[in-house]
Amino acid sequence: MNKRIWHIILYVILAALLVFSLLYTVGIGSTQISLKEVYSILIDHIFNGDARINAGEFESITFRIVWLIRMPRTLFALLVGAGLSICGCAMQALVLNPIADPYVLGVSSGASAGAAIALLAPITLIESQYQTTTFAFVGALFSAFVVYFLAKRAGGGKLQPVTLLLAGTAVNAVMSAITSYLVFMAKSPESISAVYNWQMGAISAAQWKTLVIPATLVLAGLVIFTVMGSRFNMIMMGDEDAAAMGLRVKMFRSAMFIVCSVVVASLVSITGIIGFVGLVVPHVVRLLSRTSDNRTVMPMSALFGASYIMWADAFARSSHGASELPLGIVTAFIGAPFFMFLMIRNGYGGRGK
Amino acid sequence: MTICYSNICVRLGGKDILTGVDLQSKEGKIVGIVGANGCGKSTLIKTTFQMVHNHAGDILIDGKSVKSYSPRDLASMVGYVGQDQSVAFDFSVRDVVTMGLYARKDKKRGRVIIDTAMASLGVEKFADRSIQRLSGGERKMVFIARTVAQGADMYILDEPTNHLDIKHQLFVMDYLKKSGKTTLIVIHDLRLAAHYCDYLYMLADGKTYAQGTPTEVLTKENVRHVFGIDGYAEKDESGILDFKLFGA
Repeated sequence: MNKRIWHIILYVILAALLVFSLLYTVGIGSTQISLKEVYSILIDHIFNGDARINAGEFESITFRIVWLIRMPRTLFALLVGAGLSICGCAMQALVLNPIADPYVLGVSSGASAGAAIALLAPITLIESQYQTTTFAFVGALFSAFVVYFLAKRAGGGKLQPVTLLLAGTAVNAVMSAITSYLVFMAKSPESISAVYNWQMGAISAAQWKTLVIPATLVLAGLVIFTVMGSRFNMIMMGDEDAAAMGLRVKMFRSAMFIVCSVVVASLVSITGIIGFVGLVVPHVVRLLSRTSDNRTVMPMSALFGASYIMWADAFARSSHGASELPLGIVTAFIGAPFFMFLMIRNGYGGRGK
Repeated sequence: MTICYSNICVRLGGKDILTGVDLQSKEGKIVGIVGANGCGKSTLIKTTFQMVHNHAGDILIDGKSVKSYSPRDLASMVGYVGQDQSVAFDFSVRDVVTMGLYARKDKKRGRVIIDTAMASLGVEKFADRSIQRLSGGERKMVFIARTVAQGADMYILDEPTNHLDIKHQLFVMDYLKKSGKTTLIVIHDLRLAAHYCDYLYMLADGKTYAQGTPTEVLTKENVRHVFGIDGYAEKDESGILDFKLFGA
């Protein structure tokens, strides 16, 4: 089949999957709500100004579950999935290695340490929600650059897969130690449990008002990465080739690392670490779409990743009765074996081919 | 269009690789760079795109420093193919050649440009194949097709015939000759150098050891000094310049 036609079909399927997943997973949880009911409530609230709810056709508790609890949470899952997936895709291109993602490269734990400092250290510089995100951003950016230069230095000027992984592991260890130390030092039980939850990767805290920053940044990231798609393709051919084709390699890499860090920070500062999403999704998309062209892989990764995390989160909140499984555990159970599989198949994902 | 390297010095890892090399392309001609392994041939041409960090000296294109051009403008003038053939991701041949369009100012009729570029190097039959599934030689042809898509007026190629079988070696060299573009190549095969290059630079010990036509450069003495073997360039009965090899 012609690739272009196949891509159009795939877009339609992925978009339909996204809409279906959104409506269906909103109904999943300790209180099950049918797809039809979710749909009616949303239509009524958005387009009819609550006419049927006020007329008593739905229970107001159901409305509140759907609109105030599940909807922001599911939308947040959507953003997390989309955001981490496109960042994974971008990072794989930037470090020329198919095993990279924000978690493996220590960017997530850097963001996490930054957020822990903001949450637990007694300093207030700006309004608290922005402060967490800002600190997370600084942590993410710091980790990204440390990992990149450490790996490059250790690899004798080249980015070797092994040194990249080692650098990621080392930075992960330091950043996790910082976070754990801050939790250890923290006085109030509330802040400890907040940090604990968020270390495990929980998105139950999502509310409509906390969605604004991540939504804006994920969308901006998606637009930037898609527009820069052909440049990402070029950098995937290696620095020398990219430079010969006219790309300002250093500037592009730095700028895109910053965009990645901003997007990851906006998500991780609220959810904590959710690993391996950015690793799994772009790979699946490349397999499905049968291309590595980032102009296609970026938007498809966003669509697919969004659906993936909505389902993962629906599973996390419904599989163990009233108690919730942290989302990070679900993604790790799926992603880590996939990671091992890639290691074996690609021989560390080296450039040897 | 000509490119001129003057007094290029490169120091890498505490070692002097190049100590003042001067080199100039010739309009519409193939200029070859020969020399023993590790003499800095590749390093020299890599300085064109500022890929070598510790280098001194000037590189001028039509009298203007390469630093005054944006990387994109530079790529629209100079097509470069390096030695590294490895690709970490699974792009189709068409995807790879399409990347050449980035440097072009006029991107209209991009599809035609790409198809023509692929056809001119005979890689159109692989268009939808993954670059990772191709042999080293086939990849080389694809990368050259990409520089054709860039629309550059000048080629700078690092061992363009490396990995190619004899038929494709001749095919590529014939292609370059026929293209009539200003070409600078690093070349190991002295027979091909003698056959196809209009002018040669022989590098040794970080400097230009000899330069001139192949007959002037590939003399018994020079070849002995630089490569430690016995051989020289000479015209055969049919008037074709050949490199005669007598042994080490």
